[in-house]
Amino acid sequence: MKKACKNIISYTLLSLGAAVMLLPFIWMLVTSLKTPAEAIVIPKMWLPKTLQWTNYVQAWHAAPFARYYLNSLLVTSVTTLGQLFTSILAAFAFTHLQFYGRRTLFAVLIALMMVPGELLLIPNFVTLAHLHWIDTYAALIVPWLASIFTMFVLRQAFQAQPRSTYYAARIDGANDWQYLWHILVPANRTTITAVAVLQIIGSWNSFMWPLIVTNSDRLRTLPVGLTAFTSEVGTNYPLLMAATLFVILPLLVLYLLLQKYIIAGITKADLKG
Amino acid sequence: MQVKLQDIKLTYEKHHNIFERLNCTFNDGELVALLGPSGSGKTTMLNLIAGLLTPTTGKILFNESDVTKQDVRARNIGMVFQDYALYPHLSVLDNIAFPFKMAHVKKSARRKQAQKLAKLVHVETQLAKLPRELSGGQQQRVAIARALAKDPAILLLDEPLSNLDATLRIELRDEIRRIQQTTGVTTVFVTHDQSDALQIADKIIVLANGQIQQIGTGTELYHHPHNLFVAQFVGTPKINLIPIAEFKPYITPTIPDDILVKATTIGIRSEAVSLNSIEQPVIAKIPAIIEKQNQFGREIRTHICFQTSQLISTAISETTASSQAISVYVLAKGCYLFNRDGECIWAGDEHD
Amino acid sequence: MINAKPTLKSTFKALLYLAPLLIITLVFTIWPLISSFLMSFYTKYNYFTNKVSALGGANFVYLWHDPDFHLAVRNTLIFVVIVVPVTVLLSLGIALLLNRINRLASFFRTIYFLPFVTSTVAIALVWNWIFHYNHGLLNQLLSCFGVHPIDWLNNPRYSLIALIIVCIWRELGFNIILFLAGLNNIDRRYYRAASVDGASSKQQLTNITWPLLTSTIVLVTVNAIITSFKVFDQVFALFHGTAGPANADLTMMYYLYQKFYVENQYTVAAASGIVLFGFIAIVTILACWYFRRHAKLLGGNQL
Repeated sequence: MKKACKNIISYTLLSLGAAVMLLPFIWMLVTSLKTPAEAIVIPKMWLPKTLQWTNYVQAWHAAPFARYYLNSLLVTSVTTLGQLFTSILAAFAFTHLQFYGRRTLFAVLIALMMVPGELLLIPNFVTLAHLHWIDTYAALIVPWLASIFTMFVLRQAFQAQPRSTYYAARIDGANDWQYLWHILVPANRTTITAVAVLQIIGSWNSFMWPLIVTNSDRLRTLPVGLTAFTSEVGTNYPLLMAATLFVILPLLVLYLLLQKYIIAGITKADLKG
Repeated sequence: MQVKLQDIKLTYEKHHNIFERLNCTFNDGELVALLGPSGSGKTTMLNLIAGLLTPTTGKILFNESDVTKQDVRARNIGMVFQDYALYPHLSVLDNIAFPFKMAHVKKSARRKQAQKLAKLVHVETQLAKLPRELSGGQQQRVAIARALAKDPAILLLDEPLSNLDATLRIELRDEIRRIQQTTGVTTVFVTHDQSDALQIADKIIVLANGQIQQIGTGTELYHHPHNLFVAQFVGTPKINLIPIAEFKPYITPTIPDDILVKATTIGIRSEAVSLNSIEQPVIAKIPAIIEKQNQFGREIRTHICFQTSQLISTAISETTASSQAISVYVLAKGCYLFNRDGECIWAGDEHD
Repeated sequence: MINAKPTLKSTFKALLYLAPLLIITLVFTIWPLISSFLMSFYTKYNYFTNKVSALGGANFVYLWHDPDFHLAVRNTLIFVVIVVPVTVLLSLGIALLLNRINRLASFFRTIYFLPFVTSTVAIALVWNWIFHYNHGLLNQLLSCFGVHPIDWLNNPRYSLIALIIVCIWRELGFNIILFLAGLNNIDRRYYRAASVDGASSKQQLTNITWPLLTSTIVLVTVNAIITSFKVFDQVFALFHGTAGPANADLTMMYYLYQKFYVENQYTVAAASGIVLFGFIAIVTILACWYFRRHAKLLGGNQL
């Protein structure tokens, strides 16, 4: 009896919390389907009389969202792939190759992981300015092509791979490069997917950096484009909410599909170190 | 192919002098077992042949050509690891075909060859499965097939049977023998279990503390152990050991005095402890007490107390009498004398 | 291979594998780290020519006397002091609840984690709409309880609270996941042993869960401290590119952004970055030290 009572309390609290968590999403969705008048009417109504799907079409054309999408897709995919590539190579070197100063170099990199990225903002901006990279795709991508965090997670995974697999592959005639790409990487695809998904989330949602290094509309990524859009639509909240949904939707879908990888990625990264 | 280890010395990291001066030859087409307790250096020896370890000094010769500095990839060996080391993301077929792939064999050709090998090790019905979907024995077979894929000059097996249950172990033991005889490949396998070695090997190398104790067939090791270690390690039940001082008063004058003086321990095989002499040479008649008898499969093990020592005999048939003072014959055949350094200085069956 | 020692050749090969990561890290992490320290001491700096004509502590003196910076520090500290404990406690509570229910646990987990995968900027815009004075959902809901409408976004008294609500809402999910992982790492056998020994569920919480969870609590706390100190995106989007009414939501990061990007005072901005870094480092070390001491008292595992 006591246990049942406790359970009821637990579920009630959790449901209440979940409602609070979901509220902004639901409110965004319903607002995006209202007319501007319906959106501001008091008392609030939850559902509009007719669903205004045209809001999405209107919002889509009100700003170059197609362009923003392409930019976000390009930046996210190139940074993610690039980061995986550099991290996989480095993680392999740290786990499978012999070289002088291996421990020291690794310790230095781990220490760097604790430096807040924001501290590097200004000097990086200056560097890019001197390279004449401001307002180019390179500025959006190149500085993010290396992630010590990703390298660290992959190193942990590569380290856990039984050594015998490596020796077996070498005996079977594979060189290091072949072993890496034919065996090690495919055998660790779960971990690689996990870090890749975390990177996609970070890259897709990143705001301050693209805001600072881009000036022109044609280079804006979705989040930056969205904030620019707010000043244009003013108080047309249904349009604004529709546009917000554009930004959020791809990652929501990705999250629901790859949930287990994301959670694995977070727990692996933070607790196994 | 003939493999020769010449004056091998090996020292690395915290392991000082794993081998001081190791010399050993594996002949072409032989099935050789490396037998020894854990930590004796068996796997290390295998890794040296494979090229996974480089000796500090000394030479490794394949058919008289020096491969000491040669990379693993160039050595043309096949190796099966204790954990099988199958590639977890590849199917059975792709696992077996991997060496062909690395050798740039065309896809259709390598599939065909891999299928042929799968047939040889009897996994041809499992080709599409992933390693984790296979039983331990099947994984072992796949690993052997993959090791054979390169048509290796020598096949190395590291504890191939230790992860298997008893029935499977016996089955695979014979399987390894069969495959070895079919292919004729020089094969070295590491084991800590004497029954594996005795059952299938042409030749057994007994290793302990980084030193070769003895090389020989199972019969030779059992009947002519070179030292105390081999005598103790080979044979079940374990050989009975008695300090010579306790035993001396009962010894018949069959053993020359000059040898007896040097001996410190006498080793007696369980079958040499008998209630009657059955017209065989006897070296002693000792007073003893039967403590208990156990049926151990086909044989009966009789625990006997002689002074401070416990002896086991397998040559006494079932008696009802226990805790009974009796006289026991110790037959010459199956008796060995060891000196202070553990060397065997006298064996009973050499003097029939 | 097993006993291979590094040689010049193998080092060269390893460098080839490391080069892509090292070059990027060198140019975009190590160099800027040094450079931002140096830059904070430049007093006369021409960014176009990258010429430094004078060095000194003038930038820090400037910050010391700048009322805006004082405001930024004050706001950030208030923000951190409220957000960190609330986030940690709430997420711990939710994680404990999620851990004890059998059904729907993963469903709830999915929902609580949703904010983390959504763009901060985008969802802050939604919150901006929810906080709207006349037409916002929140005031509407509050009026059901007889609360007068609050001007969340334009009244300096409430705008920091609005920011705090948004940030806690967003950070919860991530911390819940960390706590759940920490709880999962605790061996079930301890609980079984404790029940056999007759420990009540409350005793189990204080005697098993709490001490064994210490390292996770430290992790979550430190992570929350670092994230909270650096809050920027939410401010920018919630107040449409301003720092809130009467700078009521001016955080240190926003101050840095403003000095750097709007006013082009690079060296002052760099100095404020160093101060921010200093704050984060000190608070993180204090938190670690505090927990370490208490972990010992609780008899928990050493960190």
